[in-house]
Amino acid sequence: MPGRPSRRSVLAAMTALPLAGAASACSGGNGASSARTGTTTRITFWSALRGSQEVVDAFNRTHRNIQVEFQQIPSGGQGGYAKLSNAARAGNAPDVATLEYPQVPGFAIDGVARDITDLVSDGLRRKLLPQALGLTTFERRVFAVPLDVEPMVMHYRADLFDEYGLEVARTWDEFAEQAATVRRRTPDRRLVLFPTDGMTQFACYAWQAGAQWFDTSKGAWNVSLADAPSRRVGEYWQRLIDRDDVFMNAVESRQSDAQIGNGLVLTRLTGAWDAGAQMNARPGQKGQWRIAPLPQWDTASPATGTHGGSTFAITEDSRHPEAAMEFIEWQVSHPDSLRARLSSGTSSQYPAAPGLVSVGRDAFDRSYYGGQDIYTLFEQEAEKIGDQWLWGPRMSATQKVMQDSFARVSGGQGSLVESLRTAQDGTMPDLKALGLSTTQHST
Amino acid sequence: MTTTTHSRVPTGAARAASPAPSASGLRAHRAAKRRQLTAAGVLMTPFFALLVTVFLIPVGTAVYLSFFSDDQPGLGFGPERTVFVGLRSYAAVLTDPTFLGGLGTVALYCLIYIPLMVVGALALALLLDSGVVRLRALAQLGLFLPHAVPGIIAALIWLYLYTPGISPVIELFAKGDITIDFLGVHTVLPSIVNIALWSNLGYNMVVFYAALQAVPREVIEASVVDGAGPVRTALQVKTPLVRASIVMVSIFTLIWALQLFTEPMLLSQSSPMINSRFSPSMYIYDAAFTRNNYSLAAAASVVLLVCTIALSYGVTRFTSRADSEEAR
Repeated sequence: MPGRPSRRSVLAAMTALPLAGAASACSGGNGASSARTGTTTRITFWSALRGSQEVVDAFNRTHRNIQVEFQQIPSGGQGGYAKLSNAARAGNAPDVATLEYPQVPGFAIDGVARDITDLVSDGLRRKLLPQALGLTTFERRVFAVPLDVEPMVMHYRADLFDEYGLEVARTWDEFAEQAATVRRRTPDRRLVLFPTDGMTQFACYAWQAGAQWFDTSKGAWNVSLADAPSRRVGEYWQRLIDRDDVFMNAVESRQSDAQIGNGLVLTRLTGAWDAGAQMNARPGQKGQWRIAPLPQWDTASPATGTHGGSTFAITEDSRHPEAAMEFIEWQVSHPDSLRARLSSGTSSQYPAAPGLVSVGRDAFDRSYYGGQDIYTLFEQEAEKIGDQWLWGPRMSATQKVMQDSFARVSGGQGSLVESLRTAQDGTMPDLKALGLSTTQHST
Repeated sequence: MTTTTHSRVPTGAARAASPAPSASGLRAHRAAKRRQLTAAGVLMTPFFALLVTVFLIPVGTAVYLSFFSDDQPGLGFGPERTVFVGLRSYAAVLTDPTFLGGLGTVALYCLIYIPLMVVGALALALLLDSGVVRLRALAQLGLFLPHAVPGIIAALIWLYLYTPGISPVIELFAKGDITIDFLGVHTVLPSIVNIALWSNLGYNMVVFYAALQAVPREVIEASVVDGAGPVRTALQVKTPLVRASIVMVSIFTLIWALQLFTEPMLLSQSSPMINSRFSPSMYIYDAAFTRNNYSLAAAASVVLLVCTIALSYGVTRFTSRADSEEAR
């Protein structure tokens, strides 16, 4: 029976959970072992990104003066961020750490990520997509360098779309109609999943609709998680949920794996990176998936947001920030870096440096997507990313409160719009206790 | 008891030996007193050392942290400086709906758990004491054994029994066409109460049972002679006599219940109905270790401590007033 965990594996996972937390909390001992030996500067690098080992190997092969020691750490939510915070508190954080966009402001405020404005050369600045750099820049100071920027796209089952006679939806209204069609024709299939653990997905839908959850333009953190565009998105999905036209469960779950693996869900609304993750996770579905732009609210002025994407920060503890920046600049802008990452066969990252797109187009194996040139599609979508968006100072906490509330909606309590308000109410005390200037104007 | 006999023996001996008792007797008395003080000092040092290091210093640190903060002006990207922030962290905690929600959850938990625990443990102890139960020692051991299982292991065992898909209990109910979700919106709190009852019922039963052993047999015999049946004896004679134990168990259970942490923390891994700020203790943990917000965590800790002290004091006052009224 697929999707049903064996008793033993679940028990093992349950016992391992607390242990994993404890292990990650105390294994940060050799973090800041950066040292200059002879003429070689050694720096340390932590990341949970797929293909990082290949990238570091390629860097070390071509660089004499700098050698990078790489450590694969758990992804942020699985303890990676806690590990980084603890290491920083103990004074042994790595020279270079990987942060996802939503966590950048928090780590910058906590003094883990260093102000690297003066280290970012004008050359590098010009190479990067401005929307991406905007997400890591606060008060004109840069705290992290974007590696990839991931426009949200629609991954869809071309074979099942043919079976149902569906065309790729251009608008959200068409999308809603298709959702109804799919459920009517096959009661155990759905067009899409609304993830209860999906603040980042929801944020991207809201971003596309023009929402601005956080704004710093008036010298204070203005928080408006339930602004008019977000409410519009919340009401749209609430309708689909109420009509039972979409699945509603966690996406990071066996249930969701089974829905995709058994062909019960026809589309996945995720970032560009997910194309590679899908290839890696389900090689058996080769040729069945294609990728299309996200449905639009207004086809006259198409927009999208980002879902996923990572940045590199240099920590306060680093003793070799210049060397660390050289490594980062190479990683985000050198063709060999992207080639090395794609060679791992598990990544389809869309580089934040548009100059590398052609490298990605050539290096990416298109056979899984039936020869579709997905990098060209990503390039078109990346230009539509709205530049109004900012992430907040305690995004992990905001995320938890919102997702807890989404989970309650799936249990029949409350609504998505109420979840947004709950998340706002659960975020404000945190920001106030941190001593930040805050306001709560909303549209 | 020891002190009085100690001091009496030397004085008595001195009086017998010497016609002029005052000088040497006084000296011996003083020496004895000094020995006592030294002994008391030595014996109590570990207690005070532990009290200071594991209670007073942490409480002091928490109070300090709740009033000071590493602030950065404006958006927070400037240099940090430690400033006195007054009641700001307390205001933040007390206006945080998630913290107040946690307090509400724990209040509800106490309302369900404490009466069940006290009544259940007392009923079991009275049953054992009444002699109705055969194999008394075995029954006692069986009931006490769960308390020897560490809380985290107990929670793991119950998590296994509660999780759909792997739980034999749910499977069994399913065979009888009954769908049970132990981790649903309304069932999750009773499920936690169940774990806590299972763990602690035996322990509190032993406390009550020991108290019942101390009830004078002649009182029981007198009530039997007066025509009281076993139920009446248990409820109207024995129960009032172990009143002090009931108060003590209630206070300990209350304090323990207010710190609700292990069970929901573990169950939260498999139930979305338990969030990361489910109880005040989980809120404090989340604030300190995932939100890196020490001032907020410290303020929440102090609020919880004050609530605990106030409630414990309230229970003591309430029962002692009831006691004095009864005496009148």
